Amino acid sequence: MAEKAPGVLAVIHHGNAPTLYRPDNDFMSASKPGEARVVFEDDRVHYSGQYVAIIVAETLEQARYAAELVQVSYAVEDPTIETDAALDSAYLPDEFFGEKLTTTRGDPDVALSRAAVTHAATYTTPIEHHNPIEPSASVAVWNGDELTLYETTQWVAGARKTVAQTLGMPEEKIHIVSPFIGGGFGCKGFVWPHSILSAVAAKRVNRPVKLNLTRKHMFSACGHRSETKQYVQLGAERNGRLVAIDHDTVVQTSMVDEFVEACGNTSRFLYSCPNVRVRHRAVRVNVATPTPMRAPGENPGLFALESALDELAYLLNMDPVELRIVNHADVNEQARRPWSSKYLKECYRMGAERFGWAKRAPQPGSMRDGNVLVGWGMATATYPGIRSPGAAKVRLLQDGHVDVVSATQDMGGGTYTTMAQIAADVMGIAIERIRTVLGDSLLPPAPVSGGSMTTASILPATRKAAQDALSKLRHLAATMPASPFTNRRPDDIVAEGGRVFPKGAHPSSGLPYEDVLKRTNQTEIEGEGYTEPGPERDKYAFQSFGAQFVEVRVDPEIAKVQISRVVSAFDVGKIVNAKTARSQGYSGVVMGVGVALMEHTVYDSRDGSIITSNLADYAIPVNADTRSIDILFVDKPDPFIDSDGLGARGLGEITVTGVAPAVANAVYHATGRRIRDLPITPDKLL
Amino acid sequence: MLRDEPTLTPLAGCTDLYVALNFGTLKDTRFLDLWRLDRLRKIELRGGALSIGALATFTDLIRSTLVRKRLPMLAAAARDVGGVQIQNRGTIGGNVANASPAGDTLPVLAAADAVVVLQQAGGIRRVPFDGFYTGYRQTVRRPGELIVGIEIPPVRGRQFFRKVGTRAAQAISKIVMAGILGPATGSGRTARIALGSVAPTVVRVPRTEAALASGASIEAVQRTLMEEIAPIDDLRSTAEYRRRVAANLLARFVCGASRG
Ligand SMILES: Cc1cc2nc3c(=O)[nH]c(=O)nc-3n(C[C@H](O)[C@H](O)[C@H](O)COP(=O)(O)OP(=O)(O)OC[C@H]3O[C@@H](n4cnc5c(N)ncnc54)[C@H](O)[C@@H]3O)c2cc1C
Repeated sequence: MAEKAPGVLAVIHHGNAPTLYRPDNDFMSASKPGEARVVFEDDRVHYSGQYVAIIVAETLEQARYAAELVQVSYAVEDPTIETDAALDSAYLPDEFFGEKLTTTRGDPDVALSRAAVTHAATYTTPIEHHNPIEPSASVAVWNGDELTLYETTQWVAGARKTVAQTLGMPEEKIHIVSPFIGGGFGCKGFVWPHSILSAVAAKRVNRPVKLNLTRKHMFSACGHRSETKQYVQLGAERNGRLVAIDHDTVVQTSMVDEFVEACGNTSRFLYSCPNVRVRHRAVRVNVATPTPMRAPGENPGLFALESALDELAYLLNMDPVELRIVNHADVNEQARRPWSSKYLKECYRMGAERFGWAKRAPQPGSMRDGNVLVGWGMATATYPGIRSPGAAKVRLLQDGHVDVVSATQDMGGGTYTTMAQIAADVMGIAIERIRTVLGDSLLPPAPVSGGSMTTASILPATRKAAQDALSKLRHLAATMPASPFTNRRPDDIVAEGGRVFPKGAHPSSGLPYEDVLKRTNQTEIEGEGYTEPGPERDKYAFQSFGAQFVEVRVDPEIAKVQISRVVSAFDVGKIVNAKTARSQGYSGVVMGVGVALMEHTVYDSRDGSIITSNLADYAIPVNADTRSIDILFVDKPDPFIDSDGLGARGLGEITVTGVAPAVANAVYHATGRRIRDLPITPDKLL
Repeated sequence: MLRDEPTLTPLAGCTDLYVALNFGTLKDTRFLDLWRLDRLRKIELRGGALSIGALATFTDLIRSTLVRKRLPMLAAAARDVGGVQIQNRGTIGGNVANASPAGDTLPVLAAADAVVVLQQAGGIRRVPFDGFYTGYRQTVRRPGELIVGIEIPPVRGRQFFRKVGTRAAQAISKIVMAGILGPATGSGRTARIALGSVAPTVVRVPRTEAALASGASIEAVQRTLMEEIAPIDDLRSTAEYRRRVAANLLARFVCGASRG
């Protein structure tokens, strides 16, 4: 029926899809599908929202209409939707993204049994969806046997390889373009079926095909954060020194792939503690495959650990900041390495000072404003300082413009800006003369815009490329006949501040960069930069830290939490651009408030369908839900993160990590109610 | 036009209709655009009653000095609707016709004993708000009939409006309450109280009102209210939360210091 509907060009499904291949499912080799099962691979439906057919029509309306005519007959089975229903079949995944998922240091059981003070509790976090305001989309254009995909991807290089393998094509024949992204938060990191579908459909109908996901699709077609259940046990001496940490996590993964939200991994090293055990178990449920979502692991993991630490502080009658300082980890005790640089104590100090923490009355419910209960809470924030190989080129053109290019991406975080800024700095020219071109797989390779690695990976490469361009310019100048540089070696020529001039001479005696090109008849000069992490990775532990302080106001009549103030202080190495850095801080805090108070995807346990698949029922914060947000940076360069002396670690993810526990801790301080189950909705507080 | 084709779906600001269209739950395919009927946008006094045209937007209500003076709780309700864009497009007629139990102006109109003015080619009829809703998303409006306005008789007493949503704006109500507290009668006080999001339609709570009039203690009145309403657990909240918060809001309303 659907085939004959007006305007329909093709109906593609399991029965008539072309052969597709499972690509390598390996992040490290840059081939990473969102889900191992290839779309239309079999005729089983593993979760609600899985694609069963795709319809291409002349217009969107015709395609939608035809979609309603498709009849699917199902042999109905009982789905497993909830973690508890699957607990009996929980298994121990071995490794995830190269990290062990079960580790023990010392003897936590003995330490816990002997500890002067212990705390144990279960913390749970719900399924959350990224919900960038721009939904994912894919436009496929074939030109002979070559495919161009216009994508919303955080990783053009990964998309190219993954799509190539899935379609069984050489990588060179695939071109991925993704110049701008309206937010991603992880759901655009890997290749999801819609990109394969648009390519397959365009081939089938022999014309370009556009496939946009609706908001509803965004809840089933590009990943989510798994639900987590975390049992945390802490043992401490009376003076607050931790003697044992046991962090035991159960997460969900799908029937068709394995993704583990590694909640406990931070607990291995965030504090100094001789006896630590971390374990992750997974259950398989009939829900789509989870994927990284801003600070995967750290975000729910710190909710559990930092809530538990707050509870311990009350048991010890100790200030929460003080408890954290007492347990400060001077080295990474898990990796047994010194930190590359660490200013966490400075973060506590800066944050506490700005927040006015010293005026906190410790007793829960003791700070009121009229009828309203006021609470102050804090938590440590952290995220690793990841760095990957990356390349960039800097092209100086005859018209004086400079192109800075790399196959990295900008999700809205400011990569365009910071790359231009670095190039402008090195070349000593106005930033207006720089054009940055990103998000195209033909450009020099770059890593995924994820894991907070872009700044540390791409800016050193950009700097190198700019320096290389200047060096080539000096060499070129040295070849110029009848010029101020005649008979000079490149080393005796200076290129800086926009001008090339003889060493020792006044800049005005030389020429503008572009004149050197003109007078040598060169259309452009291309500088190349490639940088990669080196042996420093085996010597130091790279980690960013922060402290986040939250004030909540709870109206007891309606049990509703209003976030009135958030102060965050971060140590993320050198701050390259104060504005883009602060914006990451704001967005992390706002997202954290969503995690703490609102975000929660609800599934119907009978058939696994998603009840909250829209932005009215899946609430994310609006401006009025956060009031004053202060972002502070220690701004001290990390001396080892890059050999080029930039010293910047990324900061996309750390900014969200401490918010939810700080809110929960503030809510306890305001109300005396400890909520260990996110989000903290009013019904839980009544 | 409606006489010839009574099944035409009227459309006003489209802020509900578009959502339904996008969700694929909109069955209708033929529409009648009312947006340019400026005559239905007037807010005026008519024979002592406040008369509000069906096409008055929430922004119109917020800006109207008449509304602010005579029915401040309606202005408060309008201010809590969606965000500015929705306030500029959404109409009071659409809010009433859409018949959602979470419609924010509905408890105000219920408490104020408003009258819905319906018109079709044959003539006008006036339906008291009390009798307008017959069930979940069901009204007495007949096909071919338009809501042309709302009439609100003079209100005496202190007004109260409070909405509790999932977030600070763009939020569907977990619970919403409007009330008018009249002068003391003997030992008690006359009160008219209506709630949204606690039943399939907006509801008045006559037993609670009677308890207040009889001079019962606030605790007793709260207990009556908690018995009188029968909210459900859903996505946005729990029945227990709605019951207890309804009681808390009632106490706040009756004992003073109201926001609305
Ligand atoms: C983002 C968003 C946020 C929202 N927030 C809120 C909120 O906080 N509180 C709230 O109460 N609502 C909210 N709404 C719902 C909506 O804005 C209101 O219900 C609004 O009053 C609808 O008015 P409208 O003119 O847009 O109606 P339309 O969408 O045009 O029509 C709605 C229904 O009423 C019928 N209708 C409209 N006018 C008439 C008439 N004169 N006679 C007969 N039938 C008529 C239509 O046929 C249709 O069935 C929100 C909607 C959106 C999209």
